Amino acid sequence: MNRVDGRVAIVTGAGQGVGEGIARRLAREGATVVVAARRAETGEPVAASIRDGGGRAECIVTDVADGESVRACVDETVRRFGRLDIMVHNAFMGGIPHKLENARIDKHWTNMSRTGVWASLFCARSAMPHLVASSRRPTGTGGGRLILITSPSGVEGSANIPLYSPAKAAQRAIAKSLAREWGPHGVTVNCIGPVAGSPALLTAFERNPALQDAIEARTPLGRVGDITEDIGSVALFLAGDDSSFVTGQTIICDGGSFLGL
Amino acid sequence: MSVLVLGDGPIADRLRATVSSDVEAAVIVTEVDGGRGVGPVEDLDDATIDAVFEQPMQKVIAGLQQAHAAGAKRIVVIVPTIGMSGGDQHAVHAALAEAARITVKSAARQWGADGITVNAVALAPEEFGVDATVAGPVAIAPRAMSGEVDPSDTVAWLCSGSAAHVTGQTVVCDGGLWM
Repeated sequence: MNRVDGRVAIVTGAGQGVGEGIARRLAREGATVVVAARRAETGEPVAASIRDGGGRAECIVTDVADGESVRACVDETVRRFGRLDIMVHNAFMGGIPHKLENARIDKHWTNMSRTGVWASLFCARSAMPHLVASSRRPTGTGGGRLILITSPSGVEGSANIPLYSPAKAAQRAIAKSLAREWGPHGVTVNCIGPVAGSPALLTAFERNPALQDAIEARTPLGRVGDITEDIGSVALFLAGDDSSFVTGQTIICDGGSFLGL
Repeated sequence: MSVLVLGDGPIADRLRATVSSDVEAAVIVTEVDGGRGVGPVEDLDDATIDAVFEQPMQKVIAGLQQAHAAGAKRIVVIVPTIGMSGGDQHAVHAALAEAARITVKSAARQWGADGITVNAVALAPEEFGVDATVAGPVAIAPRAMSGEVDPSDTVAWLCSGSAAHVTGQTVVCDGGLWM
């Protein structure tokens, strides 16, 4: 199956974790994927590995906290590949446990706000004309898609990292707003709330096996998601033609752990 | 006793004049300015994101910290429903509203063990100057009730000792529009 054959996708934060899984899944289904990573050391190997597997991918070094860097990534993508159909904003930095009463803006909020909220708006404003152009292509050959990676914590709050939740919640509100704004252009905007085996989570499991046991025990499907087969597949659905009438939604992909939507 | 009301504008003024409590309480009115920064996202500049989202959100965080430091046992954050519904050409306002609303849940989780409740009251976007003809409908169905909506009694109850076991919730007080 080549469900996004001929489409061009940018995936931010694709040098590792969920972003890498999404990039690999989209590439496997025929998309040309731009691995937008802050560091070439992580992004280039992912792009090379996709190419080695027969896919099409290139790395473009991008700092999502910088609006001009995001714009340059989009412009360079269109210059190289002639179009942009799918924009996936996954990159995120922050998440230091803290007490809300002692939280410092510079230490516990700014990075999450910039890479979560601001960067979602940066990706949207830069990609918008290209996503609209994609939606004007004949059926089956295009369709603009913006996908924002949020979290169940963006719905239910967090006791450990309280300011992580508002950054992720804001992304859902942006998605709903842009779904309204871009619907008349045929562009869909959706969110995924994953719990998956990112490097950070796997490292945490190594340090604290009880954490893995606890997460798996509270998850009806009894495991943590795979970044490519579980999370990437949801992204593929939202990126392709099967979801053309789905917009403004959040798909929680966590094995059933969070059931609050 | 009086309630600490943080924020400016008519909503804050009304609550300052009407809400009292039998326990230490604070109300934070999120500074959503529905008349500023409205437009297509592709026209959004960094200064607008900073003014319409970032600075007001930092005020919400600071307000929660101030309320906690003041010993408040009941904290209520006022937001518009546009964070839940989204709004055409209002992505930044919606982002602020929802970020503030979900911060309430995080605060409720952290401070619940100390007997502190933290809740949100969500009002119609028009209360914050949002033009519904631009933002789009909040709900498919029309508003269930007619007449003016005054959130004072709802806020006062959440600020009272009677609401000791309600925390992390959003009470929508808009006459039955958002459900």
